Amino acid sequence: MFKDLTLFVEKHRNKFIVLIIALVILDVSVWGRVFALNFDNHNLNLYFLDVGQGDSQLVILPGGVKILIDGGQPNGKVLEELGKILPPTDRYIDLVMMSHPQLDHFGGLIEVLKRYKVGAFLTSGREGTIQAFKSLKETLEENKIKTIILGKGDKVHYLKSAFDVLSPDKNFVLDKELNNTSLVVELESNNSKTLFTGDIGFDIENHLLAENLRDISILKVAHHGSKYSSLANFLQASKPEVAVIGVGKNSYGHPTKETLGKLRDIGASIFRTDKNGTVQVLINGNSAKIFSEK
Amino acid sequence: MPSYDIFFFGALFFLVGILFASIGLNFWTLVIVFVFLVACLALGYSTKQKKFFLFSCLVFFTVLGSLFYTWDDQRFTKETNLVFDEKISFSGIVVSNPKISSGVQEFSVDLKNPFSGKILFKTNVYPEYKYGDELKFEGIVKSTEQLSEGYAKYLEKEGVVGLVSFPKTEILGSGGGPPIKSFLFGIRNKIAESFAKVLSSHEAAFLGGLTLGGTEGLPQSFKEAMRSSGTTHLVALSGYNISIIITAIMGTLAYFLSRRLSFILATIVIVGFVLMTGAEASVVRAAIMGFLVLLAGEVGRLFDFRNAIIFAGLLMVLENPKVLVFDIGFQLSFLALLGIIYLKPSIEKFFKIDPKDKSGFLNWRENLLTTASAQFMVLPLLIANFDQFSLTSFIANVLILGLIPVTMALGFLIAGLSLVSYSLSLILSWIVSPLLKIEIGFIELFAKLAIPLKVQFGLVLSLIYYGLIIAFIVYVQRFNSVRRKTQK
Repeated sequence: MFKDLTLFVEKHRNKFIVLIIALVILDVSVWGRVFALNFDNHNLNLYFLDVGQGDSQLVILPGGVKILIDGGQPNGKVLEELGKILPPTDRYIDLVMMSHPQLDHFGGLIEVLKRYKVGAFLTSGREGTIQAFKSLKETLEENKIKTIILGKGDKVHYLKSAFDVLSPDKNFVLDKELNNTSLVVELESNNSKTLFTGDIGFDIENHLLAENLRDISILKVAHHGSKYSSLANFLQASKPEVAVIGVGKNSYGHPTKETLGKLRDIGASIFRTDKNGTVQVLINGNSAKIFSEK
Repeated sequence: MPSYDIFFFGALFFLVGILFASIGLNFWTLVIVFVFLVACLALGYSTKQKKFFLFSCLVFFTVLGSLFYTWDDQRFTKETNLVFDEKISFSGIVVSNPKISSGVQEFSVDLKNPFSGKILFKTNVYPEYKYGDELKFEGIVKSTEQLSEGYAKYLEKEGVVGLVSFPKTEILGSGGGPPIKSFLFGIRNKIAESFAKVLSSHEAAFLGGLTLGGTEGLPQSFKEAMRSSGTTHLVALSGYNISIIITAIMGTLAYFLSRRLSFILATIVIVGFVLMTGAEASVVRAAIMGFLVLLAGEVGRLFDFRNAIIFAGLLMVLENPKVLVFDIGFQLSFLALLGIIYLKPSIEKFFKIDPKDKSGFLNWRENLLTTASAQFMVLPLLIANFDQFSLTSFIANVLILGLIPVTMALGFLIAGLSLVSYSLSLILSWIVSPLLKIEIGFIELFAKLAIPLKVQFGLVLSLIYYGLIIAFIVYVQRFNSVRRKTQK
């Protein structure tokens, strides 16, 4: 019988080679997936994605939990960036958060919700009026993704990391200015504090100042560096070492000279996604490393 | 003269007539025909051979061809009664499968009363429209005449009379157009979706391009990499692409299965292609060409292919006479087909390669020969139209084409399995993902290793080039038949 088998293998040698190569590829990718789950588990990784004019950040907490904050315009960029960062077999994002219902923040999320399995969708509860917002709601329904509404005082935590929601409160979520309804969250993880500000303007910054704003390490600069955000007081109180601006080609003059000047005044290292591409900040608890694409 | 020759030359003259009319030689057509007629009659009287008299009759098909083209062109211009460059309200039905690329949604709309004709529509990504949606707009339609000449001619060929960008839109209803078509587009979109759910966007878009055609969702930089490495045809569902991919599939399948069985499977793949893209005219054209290539491989040695090719060409040109001169895809398909049918056997003979020898790994020899013969034939056209042709594209194509059939087969399997279970299709994606990575890697590598050929192929140089190819084919065939005789 063994003789027959060897003869059979001899006869179809090339076919067996092809089969074995296919099995090896499958094997390597399965083990790769297993190892990917266990490696790089203790670091906090912050990615400020280059999505053109718009905002999008991916946070990977120690322990591997992924949170995507905003997705930029619906131009496919956020998908390209996620494809570069996540291993090809990883199709799950734990939380997707929308800061506020403007297209340059949630537009790219619609495709993300269609293509990835998503644990839950976080929002301030404020609804958008543009047509694309209807598409977002339909996508959430079709894919049966749970929506969780957050407001000031709420907290999301995992192991030793925590997101504190600083804004909006009950009044600000109804603000006439959509930008002021942005979810503002502070992430505390691996001995670092990062502030995600959406598109907030002076009013919210003043409000945060009055509430005892803490010293932070990394700031996602509000509203793409607009001149109606980033008060000098606010920046001095929060004193970020690193400031990242999500910005692309635009006609608004973002980021403005005023804001860049104020950031320089407080001595922050400035990164911007239009010049630096996607910016990665890796924090291991003692130190931070910053990698930029360009 | 036998009847099949009469058919061939009749069709040939008809096509020449269309060619002349397309490039605006209307008056000169008559002059050329007249000169040719006189020459034929003179030759007929002096040599007393009947075939020259027959030619003098057949030459009138040239005039017929010109008239046909002119009639079709007139009909097209009459069809539009659109008001251009003014803000107007109008309604219509979406008649193509909307495409989304770089943040813009694009589709064509058949206008309803009081206007008529087809317009191209560019709008926001959301809301996503569907084939058969009935829409109401308010916006400014631009005439295609304001666009660059090449693009305008291309749109005109597709029957598009105008272009509207980001108008105010309202959905009135859905379900217009033939239900079978919405059903087929539905399947196509489901397949693309099943890739998107298990692969990264770049890989999913590439796999979608391979199996369904199109560059939707591919990063701009990658599109350029494909252009400079000479691999764009992989994701362009053209006859050129279909004929190359079909021969690759045939070659690889024949490595595992019997030739007859692989022929049947490859035919099913072609039919699948056509159905899944909603049987768009350009894809039907491509499929006919692809099928001809398949058939050539099957019956090539028994059957004269000349009439089949010209018959297929004639059918397509009768359906839309503008494809002959204004559709690069059509020209690429035809030349590639001619290359595979006539040039490939000659190269095989010249290098004394046995076409039945399947010993190479994944049939690389067959893939190399197919690519090379197709590429040699389309070279002047590629250079003239895309200004680029890389000398290393042969290597890139051979390396990638060997993997394409497996990749495509896995792609279709993923689509099928996703109907049953998401997890199963996800596991399968772990095998296809490394393959896609290798293919994408090769494309990016060969974009860097591209050796662009910078020659201006004018009319004269092209004629010399094709003359040399024909001379090569004739030489090899003659030389071989002479040798066979002496061996006897």
